[in-house]
Amino acid sequence: MKKHSLFCVVVLFFKLSQAWAEQPVYLKLPEAASYQLPVISAAANGDVLTTEHQKLTLHELMADKIVLLSFIYSTCSDVMGCPLATAVFQQINRQLLQEPVVADHLRLLTLSFNPKHDTPELMKKYGGSFMGGLDWRFLTTASEHQLAPIMRHYQQNVQKVYDQEGRFTGTFSHLLRVYLIDKQKNIRNIYSVSFINPNTLISDVKTLIQEISSDSVQTSVEQSAPQMSAAQLLKNIKQPPLGLPIVEIGFPINAAKIELGRKLFFDRRLSFNNTFSCATCHIPEQGFTNNEMRAAVGIEGLSIRRNSPTLYNVAYAKLLFHDGRENSLAQQTWGPLLAQNEMGNPSIGHVLDKVTRIVDYQGLFEKSFGEPVNMINLGEALSAYQQALLSADSDFDRWYYGGEKDAISESAKRGFELFRGRAGCVACHHAEKEYALFMDNQLHNTGMGYLNSMQIAPDTIKIDLGGKIVEVAGEIVQSVAEPPLNDLGRYEITQQPRDRWKYKTPTLRNISLTAPYMHDGSLSSLEEVIDFYNQGGVGNENLDSLIQPLGLSKDDKLDLLDFLQSLTGSNVKGKNQTMLR
Amino acid sequence: MKIKRLKRVLNKQKWMGFLGGALLVATGLAHADETCQSPYMAKITGQEDFVYVWTLGMKGVGDEQDKLVTVAVNPSAKNFGQVVNSLSVGGRNEAHHSGFTDDRKYLWAAGLDTNKIFIFDVHTHPGKPTLSKVIDDFVEKSGGVVGPHTTYALAGRMMVSGLSNKTDHGGRTALVEYSNAGDYIATHWMPTDANLRGALKSGQHADGYGYDVRALPRLNAMFTSSFTGWSNYMMDFGKMLKDSEAMKRFGNTVVQWDLHARQPRKVFDVPGAPLELRCAWGVNHNYCFTSTALTSKIWLIYLDKQGEWQAKAVADIGDPSKVPLPVDISIQQDDGLLWVNTFMDGTTRAFDISDPFNPKQIYQKKIGAQVNMVSSSWDGKRLYYTSSLLANWDKKGKDNEQFFKLYNWDGKDLKQQFAIDFIQQKLGRPHQMRFGAYALYQTQLSANDFLEIK
Repeated sequence: MKKHSLFCVVVLFFKLSQAWAEQPVYLKLPEAASYQLPVISAAANGDVLTTEHQKLTLHELMADKIVLLSFIYSTCSDVMGCPLATAVFQQINRQLLQEPVVADHLRLLTLSFNPKHDTPELMKKYGGSFMGGLDWRFLTTASEHQLAPIMRHYQQNVQKVYDQEGRFTGTFSHLLRVYLIDKQKNIRNIYSVSFINPNTLISDVKTLIQEISSDSVQTSVEQSAPQMSAAQLLKNIKQPPLGLPIVEIGFPINAAKIELGRKLFFDRRLSFNNTFSCATCHIPEQGFTNNEMRAAVGIEGLSIRRNSPTLYNVAYAKLLFHDGRENSLAQQTWGPLLAQNEMGNPSIGHVLDKVTRIVDYQGLFEKSFGEPVNMINLGEALSAYQQALLSADSDFDRWYYGGEKDAISESAKRGFELFRGRAGCVACHHAEKEYALFMDNQLHNTGMGYLNSMQIAPDTIKIDLGGKIVEVAGEIVQSVAEPPLNDLGRYEITQQPRDRWKYKTPTLRNISLTAPYMHDGSLSSLEEVIDFYNQGGVGNENLDSLIQPLGLSKDDKLDLLDFLQSLTGSNVKGKNQTMLR
Repeated sequence: MKIKRLKRVLNKQKWMGFLGGALLVATGLAHADETCQSPYMAKITGQEDFVYVWTLGMKGVGDEQDKLVTVAVNPSAKNFGQVVNSLSVGGRNEAHHSGFTDDRKYLWAAGLDTNKIFIFDVHTHPGKPTLSKVIDDFVEKSGGVVGPHTTYALAGRMMVSGLSNKTDHGGRTALVEYSNAGDYIATHWMPTDANLRGALKSGQHADGYGYDVRALPRLNAMFTSSFTGWSNYMMDFGKMLKDSEAMKRFGNTVVQWDLHARQPRKVFDVPGAPLELRCAWGVNHNYCFTSTALTSKIWLIYLDKQGEWQAKAVADIGDPSKVPLPVDISIQQDDGLLWVNTFMDGTTRAFDISDPFNPKQIYQKKIGAQVNMVSSSWDGKRLYYTSSLLANWDKKGKDNEQFFKLYNWDGKDLKQQFAIDFIQQKLGRPHQMRFGAYALYQTQLSANDFLEIK
């Protein structure tokens, strides 16, 4: 054995031990057991030889102790390679002399990857300088053949270095790792010899020791609020919350159908490329709409012209989509599923075949509908779930329908009087004696659609750039913008000029949760919406006659706002309650 | 071709750096990748043979699907400047970033839309990579992370930074750790106001957003930057700029992590979407740079004299009011220059960063109608550029140039060596570039070699 390898280890050890002992203030290493070491993989087995020619397997050397395993070759002259790994082990060996309880849990394994040269005798000689502290074994293998699977499993990247004549020089180039292995033979950490520190290794060993008697390692998983059971949702339909009427369902409904519908609703596999579910645009945590964009985007980010409507109380909608082109939820299902800029599926058959193939849907349609999945029952399942999303029993409901005098503020009461009086909102957002849907199942032209289609593009656009509003030249924005998508509203369905820019009246229930507003999401806040109607919308030849300047004062607008904010249902209010989803 | 081996002598400076730092830094430069890669990785210090270009499929162009394009870039090769291989992977996944494992045998290339991670074998035949494995359960395994972005090598593992989450497709996200074999290990969520995870919120923001990840192992430090969620990065760029709600949803933070514990320690305000992180190489250079896309600034993340990490804006990039949109940045191995690309004007800019607190622009050159990525050879003499930012953010019409270009840098000027038109070649939108070299592998002693030796 060449002397300089051991010499390197000794020199390294003495030079570095002081540095390891005196960590600078800016190097902050975590305390033992203040962190977790999740399992990386199972530690591979392999046949090895001890310095006494004893045949053992790696697993036999792992079973009873925590193990640190390093790979070296004895003639290595690269001071930052094998000698360093050995010097680090020697430092651990020395430091743990002061901590016999920890030392008792640990075994060091130093395995040669040059079995032709590093015989058991040589490894004994190599290791002889370091014995006397920890349980430290110096190992080799009977042959390169025996070594090969170990090298492969531990992914040791080693290259033989050849001279100009192509002869092996006896040296290796390597990217060495050290492995921390627990008593269950799992790899719990991997260290690059390039950045190894004995203090860190000792800390990790202590972390594993303390873990033995504590909870097992948990990886962090995003927590979400508990959701209503299917039975609770079914009850929600059969006994709607205060302020809502009885739901008319066009088909028999049960909890199994609701549960299946919920599974479908949140299943990203229902889109062509598995990236998109119904809940991607109708996000439960955001009022079953999307608070973070005006108009939705679909598969591959394709643009959609309109804002995602909320699904709260959609059970009462007789017209679906902003332009009212569908008349039942079960049928509406297929619109987004097949739209090339929404979920992007090429055909009905493609969707049905895909659902049929997915293992975790097997038997579910049969259980719920008594038949395999088909176009009708898939729509009905999704419809069943969405119809259960009833939310009312708001402060307003408890005041107006429940008789609780103090359920809403005086300001909100004045707002309601404005709403059904001078402001005239109730003409479209209906409130009956026994219940209120705050919609009329009709379509109206408020001028917002007209504005989008007919206004001349401005020269500059105000853009929020990292919290700072910057006026940016329109041509800069246009250079990265697809051509604007026009939207003519109801006209696109009827082809009647009088229907240009008519859109469906949305419900106002839970309106505080469903920003941004209007069919295109162009208004960010309820204050902006009130201002829009107060000014009488945007004038155009088809402007609905119900839209007139209102002449509301500042206080009137605040009252109206308070009223609107009292329409949030009791089953969607609290952050920690069971969630309506 | 020269590969810097591990043989080296500890000079006095490195000893001092080491003794000052306690963690081993002696490999310092030697274990680094070409100027911007993980310090855990072997690197090419001489002439690279190939550039692997992770390319987005483009509707109406060729086979329309994402592909790994291999370009021969060794001037001594007969096919210098030519595409020598194209490996299509199926679908448009929003191909974006890629990174090697620490042993540099595999290239992990991620798709921001479909959340797939494609693992290519680049060592068996460096000129003809093959698809070895596809991770297609990233979202489920990670507990809801969407948008795998940076694939960053740690020792025997890959750290994958997410951009989004499956709950709302917004910007709240996590780091996700895998073994080199492609097995899920753990998820490390970004600190938020609702759950700081033990971190100190040093400013106004703790948004939980993510983008890039980089480590300074000798200082036990890891850093993450913050961009935006799926809803924005997949949205048409022009549509998004006009959407005041969407524009509120950009990251404003850089987070300092305890690298070893994988725990966030400090959240810095860095407003305006800090993107690429580039850490200095010098053994006494305790800092990293990032640039903000929306506010057009270079920020320095540095260790102060008290041993605390701080963040400071140190330079403007172009005229922020004209939205130059800084994108990729590349630090030179001597920590002397920082290349900064600005997408909207298609310009690359060189900043002298010899004083990291006072970067000064010393050079600029227009590369094309749009430019995104820049990758430098280790010696800084060759700079490669690609054009695509994101499929729906690229320019429209005639300015939608899609190219891969090589320039030589002589210290004063960039001179173009060749250009490949990726639309004309029916390839798509070129994005991330990584280097390959025969010499990385030709003397490699693999398990099979052992078997043959017997």
